[in-house]
Amino acid sequence: MSGFWPILRRELFALFVTPLAWVVITGFLLIQGLHFYLVVGHFAVESGLGADAGPLQMFFGQTVFLYLPLLLLCPVLTMRLFAEERRSGTIETLLTAPVSTPAVVLGKYLAVWVVYLAMWSPTLAYVALVANVATVDLAVVATSYLAVIAVGSGYLALGTMTSALTTSQLSAAMLSAVAIIASFVLGVGEYVLPEGTAQRLCAYVSVWSQMNDFSRGIVDSRRLWLNLTLVVVPLFVTVRAVEAWRQQT
Amino acid sequence: MIEVDDLWKRYGPVAALRGVSFEVRRGVRTGFLGPNGAGKSTTLRILAGFLGATSGIVRVAGWDLWRHRLEAVQNIGYMPETSPLYPEMRVAEYLRFRAALKGVRRRQRPAEAERAMRLTRIYDRRRMLVRHLSKGYRQRVGLADALLGRPPLLILDEPTAGLDPNQIRQVRGLLDDLREDHTILISTHVLSEVEATCDEAIVLHRGRVAARGSIDELRQRTGLTRVEITLRRSAANDPAWRGRRGRDRLEAWFRDPMGLASAVVVGPDDEAASEGETGAPAQGGDDGDGPETWRLTWAPGASASPEHTERVVGALCDKGVGVRSVRRLAASLEQVFEDVTGGSDDEDDDDDEDEDEASIPT
Repeated sequence: MSGFWPILRRELFALFVTPLAWVVITGFLLIQGLHFYLVVGHFAVESGLGADAGPLQMFFGQTVFLYLPLLLLCPVLTMRLFAEERRSGTIETLLTAPVSTPAVVLGKYLAVWVVYLAMWSPTLAYVALVANVATVDLAVVATSYLAVIAVGSGYLALGTMTSALTTSQLSAAMLSAVAIIASFVLGVGEYVLPEGTAQRLCAYVSVWSQMNDFSRGIVDSRRLWLNLTLVVVPLFVTVRAVEAWRQQT
Repeated sequence: MIEVDDLWKRYGPVAALRGVSFEVRRGVRTGFLGPNGAGKSTTLRILAGFLGATSGIVRVAGWDLWRHRLEAVQNIGYMPETSPLYPEMRVAEYLRFRAALKGVRRRQRPAEAERAMRLTRIYDRRRMLVRHLSKGYRQRVGLADALLGRPPLLILDEPTAGLDPNQIRQVRGLLDDLREDHTILISTHVLSEVEATCDEAIVLHRGRVAARGSIDELRQRTGLTRVEITLRRSAANDPAWRGRRGRDRLEAWFRDPMGLASAVVVGPDDEAASEGETGAPAQGGDDGDGPETWRLTWAPGASASPEHTERVVGALCDKGVGVRSVRRLAASLEQVFEDVTGGSDDEDDDDDEDEDEASIPT
């Protein structure tokens, strides 16, 4: 894994020295801030809600506002990882350095993953706000963040993969957006398909259901394995794609 | 230092390299020559570990490039043709990053980057963003990058492209300085650069090694041999050999019956001839019958033996054309290149090749 740390640092530098990371984080926090405001406002006027459905549970598991920015922002974060290197030719100097291909892929992936964490970290203020006026089950908050990180990790891995499959940033972003939205829409099958294997499969891969469960403190390890698979497989494909350039470039 | 054996690279049906084999010995500076599309950059990219090959064996510093890529490229400082850099980084930042990638220890990175910047004379630009550098400076940053970590082997693809004459001279001086510690493989179109900086050359043509050896060996390889001869035609017995018409007759006579490939006036006298170049008639010498220097080129395969030269000189004397001096010239690398490649550009020759044998631009 030689070269992993320098690549991770350079990618972080590239993300934060250009406006990209700042624009993504600002956009995300604006949307989530509005989302949190609406959720809290809803609870302020609805007095008869159940104890298992507090504002944080609703924020993490019961509205579509949590997912929409992820579907669009993850592709934007990952689109330049490989596509830009190939377009500008810098991939040649990168791949002729004594670094392994997995180190290159993991270094780049972890850089956007760190940005993703940075994107979410200010939302801890929402938890603090709610904790100020009500009791917050921190274990449930932890499982909610675990789900957010697990789902996002998969989306970012998909984006990394599509960036390695094209030389155009725009194409990479569109491809990963389509893949992420498709995986999200698949989960809707749980509600629209008749009961059976297909419906159970859709429920199993449903991000919606996963967030709903995790936001209530229900941790299903099968879903975590699925998340892990959705990280490992795209990253493996990315490594293979980069190796394939060596044969075809 | 480098061993290449039967290296093939195909892009689909197109063969860019067709059984390339050569060796670069430790401490030797080797020029890698060839027309556009001959496969030079493809070969260098394979050697640098960027491209895979279809088949063949490549060893760098004893390491098999396919099985031990990381160990092999650890010995290489590679400078690609266009020196692609990250525009958002400052020069010193970029070089420290590259030093880190090459395994230079953290504490040594600033010193190592500074050493490379000073060698390539970009230290005063160390705080500049790469995007603000001129092409020449970017090229030098690429060269500084190749020097990081003091790799024993430098592979430089067109290292002087985009540089002005002063910068080219500096780079040549740098390559001279690096000779002690580095084996250098330079790809270039500039033949004079190879003659000035390299010990050996490899000429690639249509994906094959067309010639290789020391520069002197290559010069001797070609059948083209030249002699410079200084004449005084004013002393000719026959007035027909004097003046402008005399020059035309003399030129025709050199070709037939003397059988030379060409005979051209290169200067009004020896001194001018040593400064002049090519076959353009010297200014001011068109009408005169004063001393003039001719460059005689023997046809490929014909011998420029002393006996043959004597025969030409004797025949001139018989005509009363005075011969002041005779000097034998070695063939230039340019002539060797022309001889080996047939004076053609590979990109223009695709029609002559079978479709699946055509070389491609690199």
